[in-house]
Amino acid sequence: MKNGPLFLLGLFLSAVVAWSAIVLGAHAQLGALTPWFDEGEGSSFPPRPTGLAARGQLVYADLGCASCHTQQVRRPDFGSDKERGWGDRQSVARDYLFQIRPQIGAARVGPDLANFGGRKPQAPSADAVLGLLHSGSERHPAYPFLFETRAIAGEPSSRALKLSGVSAPASGHEVVPTERAQTLVAYLLNLNSTYDYPEAKPLVKAPAKQEGKK
Amino acid sequence: MTSPSIQAAPSPGDAIDRHARGPLLTAIGLAIAWLVLSGVFSLIAAIQLHSPAFLSGCEFLTHGRVRALAESAFIYGWAGGSGIAVTVWILGRLGGNSLRAMNWFGAGNAFWNLGIAAGLVGIATGDMTSFSFLQLPRYVQPLLVFASATMGIAGLLAWSGRRRDGTFASQWYGIAGLVLFPWALTAAQISQLWVPLRGVLQAVGAAWYVDAVVFLWLAPLALASAYYLLPKLNRGVLPSYEAAPLAFWLLVVAGTWGAGRHLIGGPVPAWIPTMAVVGFSLLLYHFSVVGLNLRGAFRAEGAEAGALKFGVGAYVVFGVVAFLGCFRSIALRTQFTHFASATDLLFLYGVVSMLFFAAIYFVLPQLTGRPWFSSSLTSGHLAGVKVGIALSIFALAVAGLSQGSMLLNPKVGFGEIASGVRTYLLVNTAAQLVLLASNLLLLVNFWRSACTCCGGAEKAEGSVS
Amino acid sequence: MSSSKDPNPVQASTRASDDSLQADHEKVLGKQPDEKGNYRLLPLNLLFLLSAAILFAGTYLGRFSGYFHPKVYDEYGHPPKAGAAAATAAVDPLVLGKNVYAQVCAACHQPTGMGLPPAFPPLAGSEWVAGSEERVIRILLHGLQGPIKVKGVDYIGAMPAVGPGSGYNLNPEKVAAVLTFVRKEWAGIDTPVSAAKVSEIRGKDGSRQPITVAELEKLP
Repeated sequence: MKNGPLFLLGLFLSAVVAWSAIVLGAHAQLGALTPWFDEGEGSSFPPRPTGLAARGQLVYADLGCASCHTQQVRRPDFGSDKERGWGDRQSVARDYLFQIRPQIGAARVGPDLANFGGRKPQAPSADAVLGLLHSGSERHPAYPFLFETRAIAGEPSSRALKLSGVSAPASGHEVVPTERAQTLVAYLLNLNSTYDYPEAKPLVKAPAKQEGKK
Repeated sequence: MTSPSIQAAPSPGDAIDRHARGPLLTAIGLAIAWLVLSGVFSLIAAIQLHSPAFLSGCEFLTHGRVRALAESAFIYGWAGGSGIAVTVWILGRLGGNSLRAMNWFGAGNAFWNLGIAAGLVGIATGDMTSFSFLQLPRYVQPLLVFASATMGIAGLLAWSGRRRDGTFASQWYGIAGLVLFPWALTAAQISQLWVPLRGVLQAVGAAWYVDAVVFLWLAPLALASAYYLLPKLNRGVLPSYEAAPLAFWLLVVAGTWGAGRHLIGGPVPAWIPTMAVVGFSLLLYHFSVVGLNLRGAFRAEGAEAGALKFGVGAYVVFGVVAFLGCFRSIALRTQFTHFASATDLLFLYGVVSMLFFAAIYFVLPQLTGRPWFSSSLTSGHLAGVKVGIALSIFALAVAGLSQGSMLLNPKVGFGEIASGVRTYLLVNTAAQLVLLASNLLLLVNFWRSACTCCGGAEKAEGSVS
Repeated sequence: MSSSKDPNPVQASTRASDDSLQADHEKVLGKQPDEKGNYRLLPLNLLFLLSAAILFAGTYLGRFSGYFHPKVYDEYGHPPKAGAAAATAAVDPLVLGKNVYAQVCAACHQPTGMGLPPAFPPLAGSEWVAGSEERVIRILLHGLQGPIKVKGVDYIGAMPAVGPGSGYNLNPEKVAAVLTFVRKEWAGIDTPVSAAKVSEIRGKDGSRQPITVAELEKLP
């Protein structure tokens, strides 16, 4: 370690090689990934998110929703993701192809949202999501700042939330979602990646397989 | 008891860095202030975990943002600020010359703290990047690169202009930390924020950066302190020291190979999580050798030694836990749970914070020429943080394991999971409160010891006799 | 300040000086007096640890690397074989045919296949649909002009060509698929029409004027 320039070079190379191998290596493999065109459906997957949904992802990112929600479904034999109805197959790189800032998340204080718009038997309604965002619940924070409480001028707005009880506004007032809330909900209900890419097909494993640790 | 006059006598090395006193003490003081602020945010975040309605009406303190605020203030404000300052001091001492370029250091530190402040305001107002450990908005990131590089110059010059021919472990780790961070931050910024990679590759880059912060920046800075402090306290040669160079190089080379441990089961090709096991297998040597080298901490005496013991022990435990967490069968139960947070805290609080506390307790009297203002504040702080850290990590770990097994059972809904872990999260909140209170003690102690304004330091001299 | 826990118990002057600290440690790393070579071996147990770690890492990598292939997400998986992509991409002709029918044919022949007499003949129950492949493929490839009798009703044929080279430019696979669909749906014929046959006929006939019933009846 006595030779200064050599030491610094060694440091630089060690870190560069590691970064190149992992980040640039993955980029070399997945950076040029294209959508998959399905002849039967006559369209390519994944579809580009709508403009509203794409902006909604930025609202999701700046509120830090990823600190409690993931958006990555694990394969059926690795965890209970499929049984919980979060997705029938593992999330693959193609699912995030057109997302500006994929929010795959690292914690499941709340459920996974990768296929929120495709939940069975039916996707949550926009009203239900807006209600949850406005009032919260005993295990989900409220985001009242995403809404505007205003006096009803003439006709009540068609976008006004139907609230009751403690969270209902004063009489003569209505609670209307702001544009941020609307884009966020559009994003959430747009989240649905169910197309069966070839690389997402689950492996057929031989019955007598070793445990994965060693 | 040693008489105060001997205590106050300057050690041979003091003359070297007396002129560096201002910039270094300012840096450390500001870092401690960031620590306290991050403690406030951590407390709010901890409360919101079990009581989501807490402060939820305030847009600036919504849970996601508060977590990002706590994390950024801690990593960059506290760990970065104090780590770089302490490392520069150590490099100066080991170099044997008066510290040069301290004006650069001071300017760099000013920009560092301004950047962090601006960044935190940015996070609160909605510009957070959503990448772990890289949450500061992108418009402050280049400033941080510039500031950290500028601060590092003083350390680099102290090392390159050193009197002795050989180098000591603290110098290797110190230089590695100072040099690799600006580069790693630049690489991460470019691949995540300025010319973002496509799709899931952003997640790969983000995972790499998390491990770069841990293994290429904070761990080297923390180890630089540990390797310097222990022989100072024990007056001996570190055992098994001949194994240390290889341990150093393994950390630098293989440190970030473990990035895939954050992506187990994720939408990335299987080789990425597999490389994490490979990387951590090599790192086992590193953790073993560091444990062997620094095992003397467990028989050393004194306040710094107490913090050192905790830090060294936590580092070895962290190595083992992180290694185990790379295996998919274990990740199945711990991934996405509070256990992952506990592992992070084991490193950030248990290793980095404690080793920097030890360093600060050692460095300040050397810089000021006076002992700490109050030994009861010192012992109170150290006892408090040890209790707080241990309690927080334990509570989150147990909560995480419980949460993990409940998540695996598809019949258990999230309401049940939340009520199942509520008790542990309450304990965690209590632990965060203890941590905040203890760090406030440090802040007060530091202010009284270091600041000559407001009669703080004079009072200390007066009370000593 | 006389609490028992003194923050600096070791007197500054008795602490190891920086110089002696470095000297002592450099001696450990430097050449020892009894060494002849330039390298020092690691202590044996650490060497064993490192070797074991490398062995373990290598074995694990060998088993679970997924061959470093970008399409292998399961650590137990293997890279897909070359032809596998094409095989898995094979589309069910009935699904494809149904889509093509809806996009191209339903406008005139109606989604129910009943057609719109007197302009568009029905496909349901039509003897031409149930009839020979050779004829019906040519109707799609070339279009049909002139009078045609379907289910006892006269129509003036004005069917456009839909195959390759036409305005719709459906590839042979799609032509075959739509025919398979129509024949199964409204004539109950399970045997699919093959794309190869369509290509063969296209190759034989080339691009030509819309076919007439007289020419069709000459075909088997």
